Amino acid sequence: MAEHTLVGQRVVRIDSRAKATGQARYTADLTLPRMLCGKVLRSPHAHARILNIDTSKAERLRGVRAIVTGKDAAGVKWGVFGYTRDQELLTRDKVRYIGEDVAAVAAEDEDTAVEALKLIEVEYEVLPAVFDPLEATQEGAPQIHDHAENNINIHVPIEIGDVDKAFRDAYYVREDRFVNTEYGYCQTEPYAVLASYDSDGNLEIWTPNASPHTKAKALSNLLQKPLSKVKVRKVYTGGAFGGRSDIFPGEFIAALLTMKARRPVKLVYTREESFTSVRQVHSMVVDLKTGVAEDGRLLANEIKVVMDGGAYSSTGPIATSVPFLVWEETYRLPNVRFNGYRVYTNKPVRGMYRCHGRAFLGGLGMQLDMIAEELGIDPVEMRLRNALTTGDTQATGSKIISCGLSEAMEQAAEESGWKHKRGKLPHGKGIGMGANGMMVGFPMGIRGGSSAMIKFNEDAGATLISGVVDNGQGNESMVVQVAADVLGLKMEDINLVCSDSEITPLDQGAYSQAAAFVSANAAMGAAIDSREQILEIASEMLDATVDELDLRDGYVFVKERPERNMWMGKAIRKALIEDTPIMGRGSYMPKVDQRREWVSNPRGQHAGTFSFGAVIAEVEVDTETGQVRVTNVTGAHDCGFAINPMAVEGQLEGSVASGGVGATLLEEHSWDGGQMLNANMLEYKVPLSVDMPQITPIIVETIDPEGPFGAKEAGLWGSMNMFQAIGNAIYDAVGVWIKEFPITPDKVLAALEEKDKDR
Amino acid sequence: MEKQLIQLTVNGEDHDVVVTPNQTLVDVLREDLELTGTKVGCDEGACGTCTVLMDGKPVRSCLTLAVEAQGKSIETIEGLASGGELHPVQKAFIEHGAIQCGFCTPAMILTSKAFLEQNPHPTEEEVRRAISGVVCRCTGYAKIVEAIMAAAGES
Repeated sequence: MAEHTLVGQRVVRIDSRAKATGQARYTADLTLPRMLCGKVLRSPHAHARILNIDTSKAERLRGVRAIVTGKDAAGVKWGVFGYTRDQELLTRDKVRYIGEDVAAVAAEDEDTAVEALKLIEVEYEVLPAVFDPLEATQEGAPQIHDHAENNINIHVPIEIGDVDKAFRDAYYVREDRFVNTEYGYCQTEPYAVLASYDSDGNLEIWTPNASPHTKAKALSNLLQKPLSKVKVRKVYTGGAFGGRSDIFPGEFIAALLTMKARRPVKLVYTREESFTSVRQVHSMVVDLKTGVAEDGRLLANEIKVVMDGGAYSSTGPIATSVPFLVWEETYRLPNVRFNGYRVYTNKPVRGMYRCHGRAFLGGLGMQLDMIAEELGIDPVEMRLRNALTTGDTQATGSKIISCGLSEAMEQAAEESGWKHKRGKLPHGKGIGMGANGMMVGFPMGIRGGSSAMIKFNEDAGATLISGVVDNGQGNESMVVQVAADVLGLKMEDINLVCSDSEITPLDQGAYSQAAAFVSANAAMGAAIDSREQILEIASEMLDATVDELDLRDGYVFVKERPERNMWMGKAIRKALIEDTPIMGRGSYMPKVDQRREWVSNPRGQHAGTFSFGAVIAEVEVDTETGQVRVTNVTGAHDCGFAINPMAVEGQLEGSVASGGVGATLLEEHSWDGGQMLNANMLEYKVPLSVDMPQITPIIVETIDPEGPFGAKEAGLWGSMNMFQAIGNAIYDAVGVWIKEFPITPDKVLAALEEKDKDR
Repeated sequence: MEKQLIQLTVNGEDHDVVVTPNQTLVDVLREDLELTGTKVGCDEGACGTCTVLMDGKPVRSCLTLAVEAQGKSIETIEGLASGGELHPVQKAFIEHGAIQCGFCTPAMILTSKAFLEQNPHPTEEEVRRAISGVVCRCTGYAKIVEAIMAAAGES
């Protein structure tokens, strides 16, 4: 291919006009003829046996069209993995958290549906409950699931090298405990689902999601219907951040309601329900022990984490492993012992999050700074001495094919003025670094790859059919940009059909950071395939070899003599007449070790490639109030190649809000036992425009040998290393380590007081 | 609750709608007039995604009763582009990559438009304060602020 015409350019996203004019329709905006309103009855108890559900009074209420309980379900349990199938999405035997789905109503209007919920009588036998993951593992704690003794849901043990010997040989060893409370995705769009069922048995679902294929497969299992009858449609999604991935009770309930009522049913959650009854983010207690050589090289790590998983598994094995994997994807770890436990409690279900594991990764990155100080090494230098590079193999066996980690660290340090600032700023001001590597995709079996097709109209316009999913990050625009570049078309010449489980081919979805590396790779493959077909036909027509030809602005031309050209539509028409219509086909399956398994076999190539980044945060700490303000963030990220730099930068900027100011300083759920106290946006504090620092993004391009045009990922740029950068900057500012996230003013003041006492 | 007939002027068009006294403006806009560009993010006045302009001022339509909007001029995102020509603020949001998931976008754009009419040459700090009532979870507000500053420069 000739030089790029589109990729690498700051292009306007294809979805932005619809979104700027209010024409983009999200699930709650959709209506269907004769649509009913759905509402869910939720458990008021954290742990109780359901003795009886009497719906007879509710059924007699005028305007009620269907009521479902667990008895209407097939009794199939859901779990992302065969060994984690622990959740009936409409429970029959027990409720395990406050807010769990017990029954649901479809009625002519919302008032009637709410009224009907009040008429459903549920008899509970309240059981003792447990809310703390450490207590939950003690002898005598209430057992939440029959199959899980001591409430241990997942245990991931990994041991590499001779850890005990390495600790004995270490020059310096340090142990710390870090903890974090629960937090939330708090996407701006509340959870919603619209379901419709026809007389031929076709079930259609619209819901904000990260993977229509994953939802469809789960519903097909749960409803015991063939996959061809379950159609999860494309709809605009108002943010995901990991919280729209696996199946939720809402979709299942809406499906049951529409199948029973034989009318479309829309279920729109309140903000409170979106907080409590979809997914939350794990709290955790992390014990870290690190041993180093005198020169700062990491010799041994022992990491034990206990995560509060809530009542069910969700993506448990993944959530238990990912923070550890992010650590091993960053630094050379010759000897490491990891024990990850995910524990059941009587709290809402926890899932994967863009900023998952703040105590884990924040802790490791802060401990690195503590050790660096002890050894008299600059924190940036400490990281550079341990950073992975291209060609290295990670602790559990993944080979790195492109790596710009050191460059990212060096460029971020340079741009931020690190040398002149670290340790030299006035009291109350500080600067700190965080860094991490990131898996780009991971083994998901048949769902780990993507395929795409391109068909052409006789006027030379094209339609790209791809499974790609966009939750806001710009994935749709990205695949069109890539295909248009390859085909020498304008982006507006290509229509995109995507994210529909019936129409579009399999794709991993907006999940595991794989959309650029995998989905765009497949779209690129389809574009290259159709390009070759077009050039083949055009070579006869222009009397030139395929190699001599190129495509640009809808024309095929001879590279050496551009005046010899023809409109692309001619080749497309000729192909139709000759019964060889141009149909591009592409696919990409990342080169991972498919035998790798999260719990039973965490060895082998985990991802096709890895991205790398470093951020530097500057803070001001008010020692009177304990308030921490992030003033500047400089972030450098090796995304391989920036297909649309404007969209790539937007990922860092968003991460500084969610992972940085939000997850590090503000966001947490508060509880009274199993009752969430701040399930609303007045009390669950998220960053506002006035809370945000100045942000300087630096794109590092390593041109990955596998990625489309060399691209990897940018979605997790900064989101998992902001915690450590801010934690370290606070130490630089006021000399205290805060080991509990979020770092709220009360914790800062308590630490300052403690420090004064020591003096 | 007893229903009553009211007149609403939305995007320059008059509408007769039958409402109950407790019905919110956002509910009438979305359900009765099918103007779904106005979003509901929290339904309790915290997130700002339901912002519309009432006599040129941003209001949270989830905290405004439909009956309160009688006799006032309501503007929603659907009314901003005139004759297919986008408003400069819409253009700036598009060109500067200020839109990711898009759920807060209508509220952000309307809030910015009203603000720039009051303060055509704002500082960045003033822009940040002006939009601090609308929550965005995707962009970190950086490109939104950039877009508003650019739109201010154009006007």
